[in-house]
Amino acid sequence: MTNTDTQKASFGFQDVPAGEKAGMVRAVFDSVADNYDVMNDAMSAGIHRVWKSVLLDRLNPQPGQRLIDVAGGTGDIAIGFLKRAAARPLRGRAEASAVVCDINHAMMKAGKSRDDAKPFASVLTRTCGDAQNLPFPDCSFDVYTIGFGIRNVTDMDAALKEAWRVLKPGGRFTCLEFSRPITEGFSQVYDAYSFNVIPWLGEMIAKDRDSYQYLVESIRRFPPQGAFKMRIEDAGFSRVSYENLSGGIAALHTGWKTGV
Amino acid sequence: MSDHTAPDNSVDPKLLEILVCPVSRGPLRYDRNAAELISDKAKLAYPIRDGMPIMLEAEARRLDD
Repeated sequence: MTNTDTQKASFGFQDVPAGEKAGMVRAVFDSVADNYDVMNDAMSAGIHRVWKSVLLDRLNPQPGQRLIDVAGGTGDIAIGFLKRAAARPLRGRAEASAVVCDINHAMMKAGKSRDDAKPFASVLTRTCGDAQNLPFPDCSFDVYTIGFGIRNVTDMDAALKEAWRVLKPGGRFTCLEFSRPITEGFSQVYDAYSFNVIPWLGEMIAKDRDSYQYLVESIRRFPPQGAFKMRIEDAGFSRVSYENLSGGIAALHTGWKTGV
Repeated sequence: MSDHTAPDNSVDPKLLEILVCPVSRGPLRYDRNAAELISDKAKLAYPIRDGMPIMLEAEARRLDD
């Protein structure tokens, strides 16, 4: 608490007092909530759907599993998880269930009116919460997902430790996040696109250039694949690995809570 | 569920079963009339908006008198 005013956190390319980052990030997402799904499609040419689908392929959701989707926003991952689990035979297991937990109320409210969420009304719940202080007891979930959320958290290491805490022994952590293109040539094209085209798209679609400028800058501040893998290991996870998606524009990190 | 209570502020009972106070990790009491989740241990009352509990310390009402 004493350090809150002096510690710095990244907000895009700016450094801001750590105590202010959460509020600033919330303001960005309050501002983009209504257009978020449309913008994601426009920015990534729909590829974010493919990435989320790869995440679900790797998770292979099963009946009986309980998911926490942190920074779950409008619920893409949670709904996808429940859909896939429901497609599998129950064999005496309960239905899978999911909790979307996001610091932003507006994003989840936008997700409540999604038609594809309706079949899962009895197993899908939503709560506002901070990834650094989740409102759940230890060992509550089989699967933890965070998709395009962790770079917005003030203290990433605290969030990773919380993920470990709320997972059951044997539970699985999965993080989908923008990362680093793996070749230099591609990296230059990607830079040109993201610094020029994305803020412009933000202006055109959402009338909000600043928020999308923040998104682009925050992606560059996020640690590259290998460094992030080590942070996940430091939080206590075992068998941590990552997979590059679309040449490293995004990466899927996964690890296990073992040995408790 | 029940058609006379405001659907907006009723919280899914399955969620209530598993939620704890994010500050104290202690149990919560559901005050349906005030639409709040109360943590006696942390002396905080968390609001409920659109049926979603707002489990953020910064948004909670302090109970210390």
